[in-house]
Amino acid sequence: MTDSPLIELHAVTRRYGEGQQARRVLDRVDARVMPGEIVALLGRSGCGKSTLLNLISGIDLPDSGRVLVEGLDIARLDERARTLFRRHRIGFIYQFFNLIPTLTVAENVALPLELVGRRDGGEVARLLDRVGLAGRGDEDPDRLSGGEQQRVALARALIHAPSVILADEPTGNLDAETGAQVMDLLKGLVRGQGATLVLVTHSAEVASVADRVWRLTDGRIHDQRDETP
Amino acid sequence: MTLTSRALWRDARRHPWQWILAVLGVALGVAVVVAVDLANHSASRAFGLSLEAVSGKATHQIEATGPGGLDEALFTRLRMAGIRPSAPVVEGHVRVDGETFPLLGLEPFSEAPFRSHLTGVLDPAARELVSRPDTLALSRGLARRLGVEAGDSLTVTAASGRHVLRVGAILESSAPGVEGLLLTDIATAQVLLGRVGRLDRIDLILPEGSDPDALLAGFLPPGARVLETGAREQSARQLTRAFHINLTAMSLLALLVGGFLIYNTLMFAVLRRQALLAALRTLGVTRAEIFRLVLLEATVLALLGGVPGLLLGLLVGQGLVHLVTRTINDLYFVLSVTGLHVSPWLLLKGLGLGLGAAWIAALAPAWEAARTRPREGLRRSGLERRAHRLMPWLALAGVALILAGYALVPASQGLVAGFIALFLMIMGYSLLVPLGVWLLSRLLARPLGGVLGITGRLAARGLGAALSRTGVAVAALTVAVSATVGVGIMVDSFRTTVQGWLGHTLQSALYVTSPAPGDERAGSLLPEGVMERVGAVAEVAAFSTGRRIRVASSHGDVDLFVMDPAPASFEGFRFRAGSPAQAWPRWQAGEALLVSEPFAWHHRVSVGDELKLHTPKGERVFPVAGIYQDYGSQQGVVLMARDLYEQLWDERRVGSLGVYLAPGVEVSTGVEAVRRALADLPESSGPVLVTAAAEIREASMEIFDRTFAITHVLRLLTVGVAFVGILSALMALQLERAREHAVLRATGMTAGQVTGLVTLQGALLGLAAGLLAIPLGMMMADVLIDVINRRSFGWSMQQHVPPGVLVEAVWLAVIAALLAGLRPAWRMGRVRPAQALREE
Repeated sequence: MTDSPLIELHAVTRRYGEGQQARRVLDRVDARVMPGEIVALLGRSGCGKSTLLNLISGIDLPDSGRVLVEGLDIARLDERARTLFRRHRIGFIYQFFNLIPTLTVAENVALPLELVGRRDGGEVARLLDRVGLAGRGDEDPDRLSGGEQQRVALARALIHAPSVILADEPTGNLDAETGAQVMDLLKGLVRGQGATLVLVTHSAEVASVADRVWRLTDGRIHDQRDETP
Repeated sequence: MTLTSRALWRDARRHPWQWILAVLGVALGVAVVVAVDLANHSASRAFGLSLEAVSGKATHQIEATGPGGLDEALFTRLRMAGIRPSAPVVEGHVRVDGETFPLLGLEPFSEAPFRSHLTGVLDPAARELVSRPDTLALSRGLARRLGVEAGDSLTVTAASGRHVLRVGAILESSAPGVEGLLLTDIATAQVLLGRVGRLDRIDLILPEGSDPDALLAGFLPPGARVLETGAREQSARQLTRAFHINLTAMSLLALLVGGFLIYNTLMFAVLRRQALLAALRTLGVTRAEIFRLVLLEATVLALLGGVPGLLLGLLVGQGLVHLVTRTINDLYFVLSVTGLHVSPWLLLKGLGLGLGAAWIAALAPAWEAARTRPREGLRRSGLERRAHRLMPWLALAGVALILAGYALVPASQGLVAGFIALFLMIMGYSLLVPLGVWLLSRLLARPLGGVLGITGRLAARGLGAALSRTGVAVAALTVAVSATVGVGIMVDSFRTTVQGWLGHTLQSALYVTSPAPGDERAGSLLPEGVMERVGAVAEVAAFSTGRRIRVASSHGDVDLFVMDPAPASFEGFRFRAGSPAQAWPRWQAGEALLVSEPFAWHHRVSVGDELKLHTPKGERVFPVAGIYQDYGSQQGVVLMARDLYEQLWDERRVGSLGVYLAPGVEVSTGVEAVRRALADLPESSGPVLVTAAAEIREASMEIFDRTFAITHVLRLLTVGVAFVGILSALMALQLERAREHAVLRATGMTAGQVTGLVTLQGALLGLAAGLLAIPLGMMMADVLIDVINRRSFGWSMQQHVPPGVLVEAVWLAVIAALLAGLRPAWRMGRVRPAQALREE
């Protein structure tokens, strides 16, 4: 782990709606995440957790403030540059998996690799093996169970070795046991690759895998480590 | 193939019908364009070849400016003066077995430098033609068609009457253009066409760069002129130009509808794949890449549909070429098309148009796909909110486009500008459709809910609630259906106007005409003595005389209709400009001319303008005193009083009589009486036809319907493309709603209720499209009447809206919608809700 942060948020504000109706979901948020760290983000529904992930990935832009990833000011990039940034640096994991139904399991995993212009030198099969889906590469995703689909999503998020993994309630659609297995796997893979993980969750148990836990309330981040007596 | 494109392609495999229908739409669109192009091209080439066959290598032609032709002594004088190569020609038309054929009278010994393709084979036959009068030669193909061999006799009807000719030679030449020709010696042609001692033209081969006027100075008598060979072809081609352009425009309409089909398919594919596209965007696929992918899909669609479309076009073209030739024969000149001319350029053009239409149609869906925000696509509600927010702005933009279209119509008189205006209106109206759908859904919710309960309310609200989907579908259906309404109203308005015009223009009870085809300049002629005999019939109260000739003028060659009207004939003219009370006396006194509406339009002539005519007495200038309605000629005619004509041309013969019967005489009695009076005309003077006005009206309408047969065929094909479009749109829409229906099933609706709901939703969509198509169709008819009738031919007419066409539009949309809804309704009634929910 180096001393310079991988993700920095400086006075980030994001509002939804206009005029009197405007609601500030993020209010001058300052935060930093170090390389290789796992951060869990807790908070009530609609408190702005997913918005924060969208800001880090460049899907959304702040109304004010700066979001830096690897020193890159996301808001200063144009739309295409932000897309290419996401393509190379970010791996996404969703609650509802969002696998491409028209691609096979292996093709889903290989997709980010192809997008960054790399050929599959056996990584897809190896990664599928690591997530416990060896030999299932030719199957359609909708043949798999929820836990299996999420494991494919993990493999897809990690295949191109991005520096940041953003996971939006990755176990929200799974039973407790499967969720725990997926989290173990995710933690292992992230640690193995030296990636940084920002994890949105409702579950304190899931949050327990993190190095740090942030709680998002009233548009501000409260680092629970700081609050520990 | 990259994984990204594979992800999209496999979606096509999961919904094959959507794509098959789109491919079918493109195929039909391309087929119609290729077929029309092929028919136009083949007719045009046949025309060029036939001119080439009769003109040969001539560089210039001396011809008369009026109906009398040239004195044959001119040819002798030219030869004596050493102006050669030169060859005399007499040409006209004769009828054999009710069919009209061009007749070419040649002087075989002068022919070698001109028509070597004829004289080469004519050598043995030439002797035969010259040595024996009343002998003709014809091609092997034509002989087979007429069932004659060398030595057989053939009865022909010509201007001078009926003649029995001997088939002296069969031409084995395969030279193009020879196929439909009858060849005779020049003397025989002169006798047949009633032009003894006269020539129609003298062909010349002049050295390159020579000045024909200087070379022929002193030789050309008054009323003769020398023209370059190409000038004749050019003026004949000009005649059919508007006809060919309109056919092309009609075929492009089919392609436009095909384009909407592609638009529809791609737009639905984009909407359906929002989640997939959003996931791809999240993974880092750029907007440009998504845009390119959708365009690539359109390209594949266009190629998959385009290639079978070309083949289908070649097949349909074979049928269309007969319709095109028949129309040209009915309206313009005698043309025989013996083969299809398929050029690689024509096929490439068809494929290129298909591709172009697909790309244009794909632009909006590609843009919609490219603007998909990562993750946002997962939320349908956002899309719907955006559609509702956009609705008033789209409607405003639509109104602006429609107004721009209307503003463009009077700004230019060109055909192309007219079609651009039409396109602007169609696009503008499409943007108004979502608002129309929303209003209709609000309007229908209460009454449908009252009658059908929850099913009715859900179906009506579904229309407006899913505006992002229904708006596009209904817009596409509306445009397709409105095209059939527009063309239907245009043809019907034209038909009604022509019918009305025939009603008032054919004032006489019966007409006396010659069945022999007239020649181009002198027109058809009645035998000598007919006028006197008809005038002596007791049942006849009065008659008018008419004759159509072609003369040279300051506006090029024009058709001159020479008339001596009976007192009642004036009633038959409806003036578009000028006052009848002032115009007729000046016209009768020979001080002024009248022109028909198309003539005024084509030559930009107004009342008070002057017209210069070339007459045997030199050039004469006349003012135009009035413009009258006329649908008998597309290029228009100049009306001249007979006294003036006789004075200028020294000609007394007439082409037709319009006979008015004495009060109380039945038409059939009048016809009989006139026929009896003409029965003792000598056989050699040629047959005479006595026809009741009602029969002429009937025959004219028959020709009208025949002329528009091709339009109906094209309309039918457009409806075919539209039907495929409707089917495709509704199938996509119902597919989209699978989850919504599954939720209803899960909530407790029975399978029957869901089936009813799906059927009703389909019917409502069809109804919306059918109703919204009517105003657009009427707008299209307005522009089509202006563009096709006014700009192409100079015909003005009142718009007539036949209720049948409107009912047909709504019926077509609703039936197609119901048919399209059958499969989804059946499917949704049977599907297990859990499965449908999971599939989504």
